[in-house]
Amino acid sequence: MSTNIQQLAEVDRIIHEPARLMVVALLAAVKEADFQYLHQSTRLTKGNLSVHLSKLEEAGYVAIEKTFRGKYPLTMCRLTERGREVLDGYRRVIKAAL
Amino acid sequence: MTNSSCPQLGDPNAMAKRLIQSAHNRDGLPEIAMGLTFLFVGALSLAQVLLPRGSAGFKTAVFGLAFLAPVLCIGAPQAVKWVRRRYLIERVGYVESKPLGRKGMGMMIGLAFVVATVMSLALFAAVTRFSPAVTRFSHPDRWVLAGTGLLGGALAALCGKLPRFVVGGVLMAVAGILTAFSGVSLQIGFAMLFGFTGLLALVSGGVVFFRFIRQPAEPGE
Repeated sequence: MSTNIQQLAEVDRIIHEPARLMVVALLAAVKEADFQYLHQSTRLTKGNLSVHLSKLEEAGYVAIEKTFRGKYPLTMCRLTERGREVLDGYRRVIKAAL
Repeated sequence: MTNSSCPQLGDPNAMAKRLIQSAHNRDGLPEIAMGLTFLFVGALSLAQVLLPRGSAGFKTAVFGLAFLAPVLCIGAPQAVKWVRRRYLIERVGYVESKPLGRKGMGMMIGLAFVVATVMSLALFAAVTRFSPAVTRFSHPDRWVLAGTGLLGGALAALCGKLPRFVVGGVLMAVAGILTAFSGVSLQIGFAMLFGFTGLLALVSGGVVFFRFIRQPAEPGE
């Protein structure tokens, strides 16, 4: 039990932040989603969401691609394999400890 | 951090599913599609009672119910997807769901099998073991109607995961039970049940859609 508790100190801090965890969890449940969908679903402000997505992209957890669908600009986001692994690891640690 | 409250930290999968479900029903389109499908089924059930047997209208109603109803059930979600991508993408955003996969498909088939088995057993029990004589209350038609209302209501409440779906589900279940034991024939009962549920879903979805469309659209990122 104490080992499990100690593991909490080593959780990935990038996805431990609630807003980023929300984004990662959402992306884990779909194939891909655009910025507007994430904004509507998470209710994060656009500025906040943009910053969190940048951090997740820098860490290699989320892949972002800017495209168009007709005239509508789409910022498509999807969880990378690395992001999926980190989320699974995070879940395991939290489940074991709490 | 957020412009509304942030969900509590919990199982990320459950959280994501809740968010996706709520986003899916945000514009009321699924309810409108479901309402139209139910009204269509209800109207065809009623047509079978009102039109003379063997007439062209009667045959059309029978074939319509047999072939078009399943097509509508499968096609309605696709139509909702198309309308969203064609007209509402700036408001709802774009999302591509994960393919169902073997496990998901297996679960769907398994669930359909379990539901069919339970309904058949309930019918069998109603007319044989628990009631030796077929009475007004043990007639299979009664249980089919009540079962449809209860099952539909439970599915709406469980799948929708929003208060308005729970209220709609309860109303459908109550309507199913009331219709079942009101003494009407199976087809009239189906017409009443699906007509009521369809109208309820259409009105509820229409109100949600109207409120959704009145919100100012924000430009994408």
